[in-house]
Amino acid sequence: MALNPMEPKWSLRLPADCSIAAIRNVYELIREAFGRQERLEIDCSSVDKADVTSIQLLLSTAKTGEAQGRPVVLTSFSQSLRNTLRRAGFASEALIDQHFPQKKDGI
Amino acid sequence: MSAMDPTEVFRQEASELFEVLEGALLDLGQRPDDRELVDSAFRALHTIKGSGAMFGFDKVASFTHEFETAFDRVRKGEIKPTQELISVALAAKDYIRALIEDPQSTDDIIGEAILDDLRRFVSADQPAAPVAAIAEAPPLSPAESKQAGWHLYLEFESHILRNGSNPLDLLEDLCKLGPCFVVPITDGIPFLDEMEPEDCYLKWDVKLHAACDKDAIDDVFMFVQDEMKLTLSPLEQVEAPAPAPLFQLLDEEPVAAVEMAAPAIEAVAAPAAEQPAAKAEPKPEARPEPRAEAKREERGIATVRVQAERLDELMDRVGELVIAQARLTQLAASGSDLSIKMIAEEIERLASSLRDTTMGARMVPIGSLFGRFRRLVHDLSRDLSKPVEFVTSGEDTELDKTMIECLADPLVHLIRNAIDHGIEDTATRAANGKTEQGRIELAAVHSGAQVLVTVKDNGGGLNTARIRAKAEEQGLIAPGAVLSDHEIHQFLFHPGFSTAQTISALSGRGVGMDVVKRTIENMRGSIDLSTRSGQGTTVTLRLPLTLAIIEGLLIRVGEGRYIIPLSAVEECVELTAEDERSRGRNFLNVRGNLVPFLRLRELMAASGVPDRHQKTIIISTGETRVGLVADQIIGNHQTVIKSLSKLHSDVTIFSGATILGDGTAALILDVAQLVSLAQSKVEKQHINEAA
Repeated sequence: MALNPMEPKWSLRLPADCSIAAIRNVYELIREAFGRQERLEIDCSSVDKADVTSIQLLLSTAKTGEAQGRPVVLTSFSQSLRNTLRRAGFASEALIDQHFPQKKDGI
Repeated sequence: MSAMDPTEVFRQEASELFEVLEGALLDLGQRPDDRELVDSAFRALHTIKGSGAMFGFDKVASFTHEFETAFDRVRKGEIKPTQELISVALAAKDYIRALIEDPQSTDDIIGEAILDDLRRFVSADQPAAPVAAIAEAPPLSPAESKQAGWHLYLEFESHILRNGSNPLDLLEDLCKLGPCFVVPITDGIPFLDEMEPEDCYLKWDVKLHAACDKDAIDDVFMFVQDEMKLTLSPLEQVEAPAPAPLFQLLDEEPVAAVEMAAPAIEAVAAPAAEQPAAKAEPKPEARPEPRAEAKREERGIATVRVQAERLDELMDRVGELVIAQARLTQLAASGSDLSIKMIAEEIERLASSLRDTTMGARMVPIGSLFGRFRRLVHDLSRDLSKPVEFVTSGEDTELDKTMIECLADPLVHLIRNAIDHGIEDTATRAANGKTEQGRIELAAVHSGAQVLVTVKDNGGGLNTARIRAKAEEQGLIAPGAVLSDHEIHQFLFHPGFSTAQTISALSGRGVGMDVVKRTIENMRGSIDLSTRSGQGTTVTLRLPLTLAIIEGLLIRVGEGRYIIPLSAVEECVELTAEDERSRGRNFLNVRGNLVPFLRLRELMAASGVPDRHQKTIIISTGETRVGLVADQIIGNHQTVIKSLSKLHSDVTIFSGATILGDGTAALILDVAQLVSLAQSKVEKQHINEAA
């Protein structure tokens, strides 16, 4: 769940629990990563608990990155995260692309 | 001051919700058609589920979810809550409580068995498929018949997620009503720096393609209706076929979902993102009511959750202030400075008002305690096969929170006794011309500075002859001694005394009533019994309003000063020469009634010459009156109660101590013990006279 400088790209792997119980920690992690990295890749493969707060945080991250001209790439959405996105109405690829333009290996 | 552990907050909240849930389930057994009770039970379940998930109690959340699902048919009015179903639901509630309070003691197998029972009961009368249910719905009006569904706009209050509510669950429930298209509105999502990660920013625009009525939609949001904006407008019939439902697609291949859902979403998303159509023209009934908003605001500031320890701490501080104020008053009185006297009076007034306010903050309605006995009665009534109606009154009567906590166990004993021994079995009741259903009344009422709590049953009443025989058998009274019924009944409070012929799991071991009496007396209260053969028994508990600061009567005996709780004082009279001459018999004649008295000088082994005009303070517990003879009555005194040290724990006639204005200590007399002492002296006298 920490930044890994050994990887070719700076990446932040989200923890398994991104639900409201742990969202503040995830939020702090992302903010910290924002402050330290020029280019940020967020690996969502380990997320197995997600809810509205997880989606909002990812949306805000994407929005902030875009506004600051600093690309935030979201990669490897886990099945749990995908299900949560769908339950929240992000049911189409087009809709997800619209909100997460920097997504890779998406849904 | 440390912040409270969030899981502890959850535990406390859950504990309150369990009481609500239990109360609603028990009431439902009596009033199965009361929709408000079903809703109340569901609201409690829903909050437990949501909060449980939020605080990491995943097992609680998943079990409660299953419970909710199984019970859903009751909510929909498809089945009636039978007594059996209520019993299983109560067991499910107990299991959830155990999952929260002591997860180690729980077993998944038990949980699964409870859920199986619940499912079995609710599916015993399985109705036709939901389609048939819709077919049974009243025909649509001409205006409605063109309606193809509903257009909804959902906006939740920012704190909704913190409360444990999950909008995604609500959306899922909504989609169960029919094909549903959900479009998230993300324009409220802030930048990272401005974000509160636990707040809710997403909004939704939903098209529901189902000809359901508005109530069905309201049902989905019933738990959060005060915390959201919901605008509803009918969808006009469209020629295009209704698109495939979103949630049917969830388990299918993602590609299929995209292909089928995308066009519809594109079509709806554009206007919805800018301004929801429904919001532009909200239906009058869908507009959030100003009254509801005002109610929300009121609720927001109406209560503050405070740790009980902090209230205790505050009370201690107020106690210290009252003592310091007494010292100041005494100092001011001994001097001649008028301005100091005025300040002392002002501080006395403020301290008194602060004391009342603080004591008020510690007051809790006794109803919070009564609620838990309903379950007790329900379970005992079932186990003993004695149908019992449980009636409570005076739930709003307030008592110090410490008293409420101490009162729980004695009341459990009294109610158990009333059902086990008091209420007769149905055959006996029928033979005696009584209704088959027994009745237990639990009531609380204010009476001066006391609260009276009564437990009344309409059973057979106490068997005075059997109590007397048992007392004689145990050597507590001499055979043939002359005792009133009231005096005989007091043996029930004797340790180890039981008239039960068999020992059951509930009672019969003679342990209980003496503990009840001791507990009540430790609270500076008293217990009284009254009974009528064939008609029932009433047990009355008299309790002071608080345990922290009381109004006391300060007296002097020899050189020592003592406090008598003012609530126990009936009157003060002078010991006449005639009474003095009755030395050895120790009875006063108070307006024609003989009242036994105790000479406190003898009791306290006071030295020095007694005052010439001795005063007698008549005190009472329940219906028993006793006189206490003292040298001087000094006056009333705000008494801050301090516990006695362990060294004095065996001195039974004192219940505590207090600090007087001059810094010296005064002991507080234990009224119940003194009355009991006087009674035993009277009894001894009776026995001696009989001998």
